Amino acid sequence: MTAFTSGRALRIFAAASVILNGCFPALWILATAFKSEVELTTKPITYWPQDPTAANFVAAFRDQPLPLYLANSAIVALGATLLSLLLAALAAYAIARLQLKRRGIILAAIVAVSMFPLVTLMVPLFEIMRGVGLLNSYWALIIPYTVLNLPICTLILVSFFQDIPRDLENAAMIDGCTRLGALWRVVIPLSAPGVFTAGILAFVNAWDEFLLALSFNSATAYRTLPVGIQMYQGEFSFPWPTISAALVIAMVPVVIVILIFQERVVSGLTSGGVKG
Amino acid sequence: MNTRPPGRSLRQRLADPDEATLAAWLLAPAFVFIAVIVVYPVLVLLWNSVHDARLLTGQPARWAGLENYALVIADAQFWRALRNTLVIVVVTVPGALVVGMGLALLANTAVRWKGPVRLALLLPWAMPLAFVGLIFAWFFHSDYGIVNDVLRRLGLPTPIWSASAMLTMFAVCIATIWKTSSFMALILLAGLQTIPRSLYEAAEVDGASKWTQFTQITLPLLVPSMLVALIFRTLTAIQSFDIPYSIPGPGEDTQTLAMYIHMNAVDYLDLGYSSALAVVMFGLSMLTTWVYMRHIRGEEAR
Repeated sequence: MTAFTSGRALRIFAAASVILNGCFPALWILATAFKSEVELTTKPITYWPQDPTAANFVAAFRDQPLPLYLANSAIVALGATLLSLLLAALAAYAIARLQLKRRGIILAAIVAVSMFPLVTLMVPLFEIMRGVGLLNSYWALIIPYTVLNLPICTLILVSFFQDIPRDLENAAMIDGCTRLGALWRVVIPLSAPGVFTAGILAFVNAWDEFLLALSFNSATAYRTLPVGIQMYQGEFSFPWPTISAALVIAMVPVVIVILIFQERVVSGLTSGGVKG
Repeated sequence: MNTRPPGRSLRQRLADPDEATLAAWLLAPAFVFIAVIVVYPVLVLLWNSVHDARLLTGQPARWAGLENYALVIADAQFWRALRNTLVIVVVTVPGALVVGMGLALLANTAVRWKGPVRLALLLPWAMPLAFVGLIFAWFFHSDYGIVNDVLRRLGLPTPIWSASAMLTMFAVCIATIWKTSSFMALILLAGLQTIPRSLYEAAEVDGASKWTQFTQITLPLLVPSMLVALIFRTLTAIQSFDIPYSIPGPGEDTQTLAMYIHMNAVDYLDLGYSSALAVVMFGLSMLTTWVYMRHIRGEEAR
């Protein structure tokens, strides 16, 4: 704050270094994606593509079913997001609004889920999913991701629900709404920013998850993007130009989400962080 | 408001239940999911860890007592994986905090380009860990990577990173710090912005240096937001998987505990042994949470 403001140059340097730190890896991959195989394997390396080519993007689509991976990731992430929002909204309404004994303990029990290491759950879940024949299916990922996102979604929704004036709900109920009707028609629409925030965080978490996706859905038909990206490499070959092109395509959805929702994301992350 | 005339039919009560019943119904789905995906698996995990449950043998699970745990203790690869994991924890948790603090202070200074700065802090957070691993593997490529290119331009030796366990771990740690420090920075930035300006002005009047202001005002006021961020950062560092998995090293020398568990469970289908390993990681996580909680209580008591 005041401690470090001395001059315009310093401020520009500060902004530039944060931006460079955050964007450099993505930009470097972008540049790599447009270099030809020949250019990539000449030394000294070039920093800017000398003879930009789109061949790597063609190869990225040819060598692996990239649209399928994108679709799988989208289905799994959207499914898990909607399901966790639904479960979290119901639970959060009970915690924030209804007569409930030990509401603090109930909320803590939901939040405690985030303390369990995913890796340790992976082993028994693998056995359970295998037992019920859910390996290589969308549900194998949607169900665990839903639960993983419950803590953050419930925390955010509870704090938003608590801010809605009770009078609005009571008015709706006098007009003939049931409790659930009031939740659906009054509380949720008024908490739309909170629902969005929780939804975006849940979506990004599900979109990024790797360990369960790698362990449960090894069949090509159900592979998600983070796993699919690893499939370009052979045992001894790393086709870097193709991998870079695939990474660029795979990063587009993430970049779009944070471009559109950056303020929501920041408020969600920091409120979750402060409240624990 | 909850007094209703008694003697309503079951149907009426289902259609319009009293508040406590409704609350129970609303909480039920979440807790059913938690029971199925967390509680039951933890019980299965504990059961497996005391059984010889190797799916490849085709034999039914056999009671094994503490055999699996004895095997864990005698297993050199377990100790190596544990050491690698602890290296990642010890290097990247403070690393992310220090780099994150730097980024937060810089971002707080940058009053101009607020949008791009925020975007630059969000991008590493939003990027899948598996992508980050691949990108940094490319950075550290010994022939065509940018790291070696810069080293060469500076006239320094250019090592073959993937040939040495230590150098690969270095790359893994750098990638992890890059990925996680920006989330840390966002949390710290939110904390920085709640510190009232007047505190600094008062310190200024008293003639305190910038450094004194930082250590006496900024740091102590940031401790609460720092601690919560650190708990989650430590817990995820213990589970490091995606980044070390994506950065090739010499054989299995750079395996982490999570990778070793995954290998035993998914590749070897040895549920007993991988469960015992997972219980060790579980204990490590609980211990971490306990230590932090104790510390937080201590802070609050002061």
